Amino acid sequence: MSRSALLFATTAAADGAPAAVLPVGGETAVGRLLGQLGTLGVRRASVITRPEWVGAIEAALAGSAAEVAVIASGGLAEDLGAAATVARAARDELVVATGDIVAHREALAGLLADPRINTGILATASRQRGRWSFATRSARGRLVGAASAYHRVRRGNAFFLGVMKVDPADVERLAAGATRLAELAADPPASWELELARKGEEWRRRLWRAAVLRATGISPEPDDAPEAPELEAEDEAELALRDRAARVDATSLLLVGLVRGGAHVSSSYLRGFFYARPLSAAAARAAEDDMREVDEDRVALDAAVKSADGFFTTFFVSPYSKYIARFAARRGWTPNAVSAVAMLIGAAAAAAFATGSRAGLIAGAVLLQAAFTMDCVDGQLARYTRTFSKLGAWLDSVFDRGKEYLVYAGLAIGSTRGFGDDVWTLACCAIALQTARHMVDFSYAAGRHHAIAETSHRPLEEADEIAVAVDADRRPELAGAGVRALRPALAGSVAPDLGRPSVLPASARPDGPADAGAAPPAARAMGLPGLARLGVGAITALERWPASRWAKRIVSLPIGERFALISVTAAAATPRVTFSALLGWGSVAAVYSVGGRVLRSVAR
Amino acid sequence: MTALAVYRDDGPLATWLGRTAGRALPAGEVPLTLAGALAPVAVLVAPARSVSVALAGLAALALVLLGGAASGRARPGRFAWTVTPLLRLLEYTLLLKITVLAEPGAVPLCYALLAALAFHHYDAVYRLRHQRVAPPAWTRAVGGGWEGRILLAAVLGLAGVLDVGLVVGAVVLGTVYVAESVRSWLHFGRAARPNLYEDEDVQDA
Repeated sequence: MSRSALLFATTAAADGAPAAVLPVGGETAVGRLLGQLGTLGVRRASVITRPEWVGAIEAALAGSAAEVAVIASGGLAEDLGAAATVARAARDELVVATGDIVAHREALAGLLADPRINTGILATASRQRGRWSFATRSARGRLVGAASAYHRVRRGNAFFLGVMKVDPADVERLAAGATRLAELAADPPASWELELARKGEEWRRRLWRAAVLRATGISPEPDDAPEAPELEAEDEAELALRDRAARVDATSLLLVGLVRGGAHVSSSYLRGFFYARPLSAAAARAAEDDMREVDEDRVALDAAVKSADGFFTTFFVSPYSKYIARFAARRGWTPNAVSAVAMLIGAAAAAAFATGSRAGLIAGAVLLQAAFTMDCVDGQLARYTRTFSKLGAWLDSVFDRGKEYLVYAGLAIGSTRGFGDDVWTLACCAIALQTARHMVDFSYAAGRHHAIAETSHRPLEEADEIAVAVDADRRPELAGAGVRALRPALAGSVAPDLGRPSVLPASARPDGPADAGAAPPAARAMGLPGLARLGVGAITALERWPASRWAKRIVSLPIGERFALISVTAAAATPRVTFSALLGWGSVAAVYSVGGRVLRSVAR
Repeated sequence: MTALAVYRDDGPLATWLGRTAGRALPAGEVPLTLAGALAPVAVLVAPARSVSVALAGLAALALVLLGGAASGRARPGRFAWTVTPLLRLLEYTLLLKITVLAEPGAVPLCYALLAALAFHHYDAVYRLRHQRVAPPAWTRAVGGGWEGRILLAAVLGLAGVLDVGLVVGAVVLGTVYVAESVRSWLHFGRAARPNLYEDEDVQDA
């Protein structure tokens, strides 16, 4: 696919030169980035930079294989105006990126070469990696909020790393947002200035806390930081650099424009790949060293493993199935072929179970595990080689279900033949329970999709996602409606350093006694929704510790645990024991998952 | 049509009940369905000897009348998600109960029918997820809907020909559902790319 790129080389490094020409691996940061983008189909690039830097940027990109146009621009408003022009001229997919980032090619490929993502961003959930990036919030695969230097996102759950892919269908939306943002940047609204100041204070306190931790080994509580703490000279310089970079970060602004403009924006996560935004020669050298220490292929293989998977799959299958996936990739096998092989092995397992002999049951158990391993391989192979297809995803899911229900039938036949024990009724109960359990997941998800579609966005001149009125002495007050809108949101966990309102007066803090008409907190916690919220809080708290997190997942009897349960009970006991175990554990899982979701629904 | 409406798998009878009786009744989808579930649940948990095919058929009829009428009251709501799993569980277990009562020897055939239905119900979810299109409405009409299937099973059970019905149902529906799904994939082009994707398919466990 042919793509064009829009790069911003507008950030100054410590020495006053553009950060985009900092030396990285024998070339410049922007030259290296454009080279990487070139291997990912980018044929044309527009680079926006300051008039005095045009020569340096042109020199840096002189040897580039791409067709490069360097655009001189005097400031943020002009940058955004130029971006609108470039976007309007783009006929194909447009990659928008900050020109000074240093990342693995595979990290960029994860976003650009993934056919499932039309419009999307490179993101990280890591606080450390994203510490100088702006927060985003996504829900069920879609960005519902994004921040910039001048825009705020509450309950952020990831950070935008300055690379964005825009589908041709969304290019006009990008241009419209850029045009509006350019007008606003020319004469910034008061709320923008306040938000920038708030972020500056927050960064200052964060640097102070980090310095205290370095000096004393004790991490201070977030609230312990003084209002405007003094920093060491080095930190003060870093803060000044980051603050300057944030002010001209047009990429983040464009993302806010897209998200608030209603575009469907997906996220591709960094996983373990390297990413940095060095703003000094020393930082660029450090980034180069750090990057060399990461084995890109090893990370690519680890990243191919689904991160939110069951206990059995994560610890007993994925650790070795990923090597089978790499073996398969080197031989050019396709994920769909692997899925089909897995289905055949599953059918063989069902046939072995159907013999009803002890040897047959043991063989079936082993074959079922082999089939399950191949099931993990197909997904890992698809992620590793980025050969995703809609049909492949459908086949994968349908074959999973097909294998399982074929095995139930095999076990029921085997029980009649080998043990003279008719367990068909149990088999029917098992298929009914498992299908209904899946339906709970599907229906609950479908209901939540609907809730997200109703989200409405604030206009771009407003810094906050929720309504904030700026009064005469420029102290923002949360409007009553906004506070009420925010309250359900606060029932969930608030990411500590993403969304704390610090410049707001205490009376306007959403967790304080905000609007006089509201009931006091103790009374609010009462009643059914309050109790349900407590229950949801308790369940959510289980996510905090690895042991309880895994216990939670094991209780819900995911596919890996189910197949292991079938194999063990069938090989060691009888099909009747297998079905009884599936029905018993499955019922507990059903009660747990339905109960948890009913609580969430009550609390909503 | 919303995803939840597709997941319900209503046939012509439930749709008609929803359009007529559903409008007139004072309750919403969730309470109506729960009320309809009472009789089937009683039949399902009662000892086998105390229940007859006719009684199971009457319980199925109660579910069809109330659950079918509820289809006309389907609205997005915080508990709307509870309806489809409940309908699935009741449909499958009622088919099983009627088979056990009417012709215990035909339970393997019932399993075959349930497998064919399960294919259809998963297929609807996965196609909506990956193609962004639900199976065409005629598949729901041909399948008779959940309400048509349980009523027909009760009638065939009373007539003593349930085994024939289960075989025909499993073969015909299985063939129709699989063939229609394969056909849809042969016609699925790149133009229908959905504009959303989830980084992790966590529901697929």
